[in-house]
Amino acid sequence: MSATISQAELRELVASWIAQGKRVAGPRLVAPAFRSAPQVKPACVFYAPLESSGELSLGGFIRPANSVKEFIFPKHEELYAYRITGQGIELSEVEPPAVEQVLIAARPCDAASLPILDHVFNWDYKDELYDRKRQLTTVVTLACTAHDDACFCTSVGLGPAAERGSDAMLLELGEGEYEVRCLTEKGKALFDGKLQASERVASVPAGPEKRFDAVEVGAFVKEHFDSPFWPAHTLACLGCGACAYTCPTCHCFDIVDEGNIERGVRARNWDSCQFTMFTLHASGHNPRPNQAARQRQRIDHKFHVYPEKFGEILCTGCGNCARNCPVGMGVLGVVTAL
Amino acid sequence: MSEHTVAPVSVAAVCDRRAEFEPKIVAFVCNWCTYLGADLAGTTRLEYPPNVRIIRLPCTGRIDFNLIIKAFEMGADSVLVSGCHPGDCHYTSGNYHARRRWILFRELLQALGFDLERIYFTWISAAEGHKWQQTVKEITEKTRKLGPYTGLYRSSAASVGATLVVAPEGGHEGRPYDASPAGVGATLVVAPEGGHKGRPYDGGGEAALRETCRRLLAEGSVKVVIGYGRRGPVFVTRPEDVEQLVWNNQCLANLTVYLKRKEIRALGRPAIVVKGCDERALVVLEKESQIDRKEMYVIGMACEGMGQAKCETCEAHLPRFADEVVGEAGKHPAETGERWKSLESLLALPAAGRMAYWAREFERCVKCYACRQVCPMCYCERCLVEKNRPTEIEPSATAKGNFAWHILRAFHLAGRCVGCDECTRACPAAIDLRLLNLSLAKAAEEHFAYRAGTDPKADLLIGAYSLQDKENFIR
Repeated sequence: MSATISQAELRELVASWIAQGKRVAGPRLVAPAFRSAPQVKPACVFYAPLESSGELSLGGFIRPANSVKEFIFPKHEELYAYRITGQGIELSEVEPPAVEQVLIAARPCDAASLPILDHVFNWDYKDELYDRKRQLTTVVTLACTAHDDACFCTSVGLGPAAERGSDAMLLELGEGEYEVRCLTEKGKALFDGKLQASERVASVPAGPEKRFDAVEVGAFVKEHFDSPFWPAHTLACLGCGACAYTCPTCHCFDIVDEGNIERGVRARNWDSCQFTMFTLHASGHNPRPNQAARQRQRIDHKFHVYPEKFGEILCTGCGNCARNCPVGMGVLGVVTAL
Repeated sequence: MSEHTVAPVSVAAVCDRRAEFEPKIVAFVCNWCTYLGADLAGTTRLEYPPNVRIIRLPCTGRIDFNLIIKAFEMGADSVLVSGCHPGDCHYTSGNYHARRRWILFRELLQALGFDLERIYFTWISAAEGHKWQQTVKEITEKTRKLGPYTGLYRSSAASVGATLVVAPEGGHEGRPYDASPAGVGATLVVAPEGGHKGRPYDGGGEAALRETCRRLLAEGSVKVVIGYGRRGPVFVTRPEDVEQLVWNNQCLANLTVYLKRKEIRALGRPAIVVKGCDERALVVLEKESQIDRKEMYVIGMACEGMGQAKCETCEAHLPRFADEVVGEAGKHPAETGERWKSLESLLALPAAGRMAYWAREFERCVKCYACRQVCPMCYCERCLVEKNRPTEIEPSATAKGNFAWHILRAFHLAGRCVGCDECTRACPAAIDLRLLNLSLAKAAEEHFAYRAGTDPKADLLIGAYSLQDKENFIR
């Protein structure tokens, strides 16, 4: 026995969520605006807030070019506002968001990132802004039916239908039908009364071939901090943050004050360990002076430091780092070279 | 609601505001002429509207273009920039440099959808108190008629409408993903539609390239070959490793970006593989004293296009200044207006539509700075955006921070961008950054008959000036 929903009904359901005032985000096609001329980049799919259910892209692509983390941990988030008065400084809290969110058709590699991120946002300081959005979010995953050369979820213990982090999972049955597996109470509540009972059960396709052993990678980076491997294999890295910013699990941020002489806001912005400024001390000393050290940091954090601290790898194998790297590196490129 | 968010303004509210509207005008003036002109207006008791706030700077040549943008961000309804008449500059040529920059900057602002009717340029001398009075009066009245500037960074413009609806027609299925056999990485994201991927060029370019590199490395005339590998750039230091080099339709990166990098420089004298388009970067870099061509060996690849937008109108199938050219290429196509087509589509929109277009595109910008990192021309050791005492460009990926960043990036490339389109290819948010570069390239060609990187003898565009530079927009 299984429960199913047709694509048309799913779109209706999405429309009803939007009508209820929920913030619904899912894969959306961004086509070039000026089609008359040749384009450097053809159409791309991004996770984005949906204004109508018609905007939801459900197939025909491997995965969106960004990740769902931005709906829980946005690229720019105001923490509080300040005003400088004659007597001192007035602070005002930023209202925590209260809008329910549904992430629809997220990939399993995106959904899995959320429980991984929960650790770091709650281990000593409980990050209210993160937690509030997380509680208000329901994740509906769409299992993968295809993968590309950059995908490596099976190497980090996940797969095309991994259920981690999902409140409900959709699996394609063909002919516009989806099997729906409600995995949590939240998921059940979303689909309550909208599903048909059926005999059909989706078959889960094989994921990408296993490319490396994550435990071995962790052991290698632990043992080879000063290995010549790092400078030799990171020469091509140009030091942008495309990998970190499209990664579902990278979570570093910087805190800045922005405003004028009278008032402003304190905000947090995404930051990336690939930037020179990330570790630059006020004295001018930089403990990670080159891309070799910064790339090592990225791999080290994902496969050694995070697992040691929180017991799991900081990587879901989505492959975004490789797809978005302008010089074809990414985690996979470095790790397979090990 | 913070001031970072541009709140939607209802028509009624705008009408109300208009009734009591007092224009705010910011004037950036030079110390030696216009400021004294304004002073003269005061001492001779010439009345002019109190709507203008004067900011005095040493010279128009020192007025940072960011200031104009900042003024609008902080609520100015119009901006005036004014300095000495040509020939009158206290520093001899500051105003000539300024004039040349404004010519280019106006074109960029136009492409971005700024309201050019709110930006004024004048020459007012120390003796022209009357002209100052007249100018301020006129700008105030015109701005009063235009109303408050509410369109800054607005992502919704009623007038944009159909042109910008990017929702897919028919089915909602994304374009089928096109996996490339060439491996992961850049090749996957930018695989040209229906393009031949990973196929070596006919004529044995790849074998000849490897042979050349083997020879250079064996004879020791170069220590490293900066070339293309199966997955991305490779740095070959031993003759036996030349098999790592490839030459196919996925050789997209502009490798000249590596010439500035310390780690690569440390490897010793390089040989660098360039296409006709990449090679232009070498011309500009040498002109800007960043590289010494004698310190490298340039291997030019004959290339008939990689399926990229720039390739459609490429006129440099054969590198012109390389030390050695590998392969053969067909004739260059005759130059047509095709090059500007996408820019023309953008410029066909009304100003509010252009601004709405960019506001929506920039919403996706995460400030990963891939556009900067892949650019051979972005070689500053510390980018202005990294200066935080005080902050000049807001680091946040907000509308304000993103516009500031993209204006900065584009304008710092004015007359320098060689059109390799790497910024656009690298952008993980698929923002069509080349349109901004194109707007400046077009301005350079139209106003100065200058194309960056094509003529090693030509003076750099920025940093030079001509007495004949046009000034029909300056009063």
